[in-house]
Amino acid sequence: MNVKKILIPVLAFVFLFGLSSMALAKTIKVGGIMDTTGATSDVGKDYAIGMAEAFHYINDMGGINGKKIKYIWFDYGYRIPEALTKYKLLKRMGVLAIMGWGTGDTEALSPTVNKDKMPYVSASYSAHLTRPVDWVGRDGKKHGGTGYNLFFSSDYSTNARSCLTAWFDKKWPKHPDYGKRKPRLACSYMFPSPYASAPIAAIKDHAKLLGFDVGPDQDVSLFALDTKSQIMALQKFKPDVIWHGNTTMSVSATIRDCYALGLRADHIVNNWGYDENLPRLAGAAMNAADALLVMGATPIKFFGQPSDNMDNVVEYAKKYNPGIPASKRLNRTPQAWGDALAVWEAMKRADKAGDLTGPGIMKKGFETMRNFHIGLGAGDLTYTPTDHRATTGCLVQEYKNGKFQEVEFVDLKARWPKQWASEWHGW
Amino acid sequence: MKKKLVLMTVLLFGLGVVLTSCVTIPVKPSAANFKAPVITLESFEIPQYDGYWYYGSKTKPTKGKAGNHGAPLPMNFVFSIENPNPYPVLLEGMKFTVAFDKEFDLVTVSNQDASWIPAGKTNQVRASTLITVRSGLLSLLVTGGYKLKARGWSPWKALERWWTGVPDYTLPVTVHEGAFVFKADGLVKVLPFETTFK
Repeated sequence: MNVKKILIPVLAFVFLFGLSSMALAKTIKVGGIMDTTGATSDVGKDYAIGMAEAFHYINDMGGINGKKIKYIWFDYGYRIPEALTKYKLLKRMGVLAIMGWGTGDTEALSPTVNKDKMPYVSASYSAHLTRPVDWVGRDGKKHGGTGYNLFFSSDYSTNARSCLTAWFDKKWPKHPDYGKRKPRLACSYMFPSPYASAPIAAIKDHAKLLGFDVGPDQDVSLFALDTKSQIMALQKFKPDVIWHGNTTMSVSATIRDCYALGLRADHIVNNWGYDENLPRLAGAAMNAADALLVMGATPIKFFGQPSDNMDNVVEYAKKYNPGIPASKRLNRTPQAWGDALAVWEAMKRADKAGDLTGPGIMKKGFETMRNFHIGLGAGDLTYTPTDHRATTGCLVQEYKNGKFQEVEFVDLKARWPKQWASEWHGW
Repeated sequence: MKKKLVLMTVLLFGLGVVLTSCVTIPVKPSAANFKAPVITLESFEIPQYDGYWYYGSKTKPTKGKAGNHGAPLPMNFVFSIENPNPYPVLLEGMKFTVAFDKEFDLVTVSNQDASWIPAGKTNQVRASTLITVRSGLLSLLVTGGYKLKARGWSPWKALERWWTGVPDYTLPVTVHEGAFVFKADGLVKVLPFETTFK
């Protein structure tokens, strides 16, 4: 009887207050592992705050079919052990998907996220993260499938092939030696960096396809401010175009030294070296009357550059980070939105299918997308159970007259369908 | 006995309703009456100081694995948040960047702990972060090269200066690009924040 006396009022309380807590429980958790402290924090910070802004927008637009998203993110300082720790924490907190960051954390966590069936949507666009099922490389090596790794962007190899194609299409025909000899390509990147070296095999393969002579690679540190010895080495080869695989500061140093030493080659740059800071850091080399031609891979448009959805990006940046002027924002913010919008759509589809779980988000979400349009100048997204290359090409832009301008959207699949389908996947 | 139990249950329900009504806000927030809370950096603290040191991966540690490791520098920022409104306001989260010597951004802090500030009262919130000589070194090497060059500093000179000067309060610590997100009954107000702790 005493038990009953206590139990009934307690149950009444639980019932009364439990209802209100149930109302609060209609949130979905999404995690973030970002770099706002470490080696990539110059671009990582803009990406991290852009991601948070994107989730504010998603919630304002109704979240996941009415369910709000609680986006919880941590800085891992570009330290792999820290990324592993933060992953475990986020998993324990019950997140349904994780927005990741660089090549280091993405690759270190890849076996774990695939075992855990945790969608991991990152800013590492390495081509070998695009094969969901186990495969054998050109060298005969077996590679594990990366079925739970995703990104909205074209991969680094697609970027490199697209940049070289755009230069070959639009710039080489205007060269005085066009038709007289083969064009010459050289590559400048930090050899031991997984990010920088990832697309080198692809761009050399593409150079061969287009009929280039390829010169000696130049090892340029990501920390470099002085690259004169590398430029002097290149002067012997006289490249017409140089591929840059590094990030913004060292790319700007290399372009500056080319300009200073009179090496009049054109430049094509991978996406993490090509942002609003590049012309500022490169100075006269990109802004003088005799500036060098600098083109780059832009899997999404620059901050504020006209395109559908860009108004939302700018509005939410202003609303949630009023202390940062638009002039200081980078294309890393739209990049973050690209990944966030892809996750949003995948989660909505999984939820509609009644399976808002890791495997549901992947199989009933991402892998049901066919040419899904996210705007922002990004390619339309398609993911299949055997191919996670989100887009089939990349927009290439150049810096001209003080602003970034479109050169060409190169659709590799349309142009080289056989190679796209069977030869270029995963490297 | 049953009557007593039913009575007690009804009373407890009633009590719950009364308690709930007690926290009902007297003035409904609106865009017109939602005043900006006042943010002040009350104090900056180094909660634990471990000096300045760094060793590379070639150095064999007494215990544990070798690696590139540097002294940690934990930092606490205590903010006072004054709520001038006649209703409680929720601080949903804050984000700010910490810079040494005014121009070297070392960390962007995001604190997503929710905190209520009662009507007309001032509350204090603490944001903690930690950087290491290693993280600072990488950040400087990849992103800070031109700024260091302009000052004629090596990265090591800058790091030693900061790891010895900041805990002594002899160097300014700047908080900038701050964004404090406040909510009141569905209304959102995001306030920028910038200050230098000298």
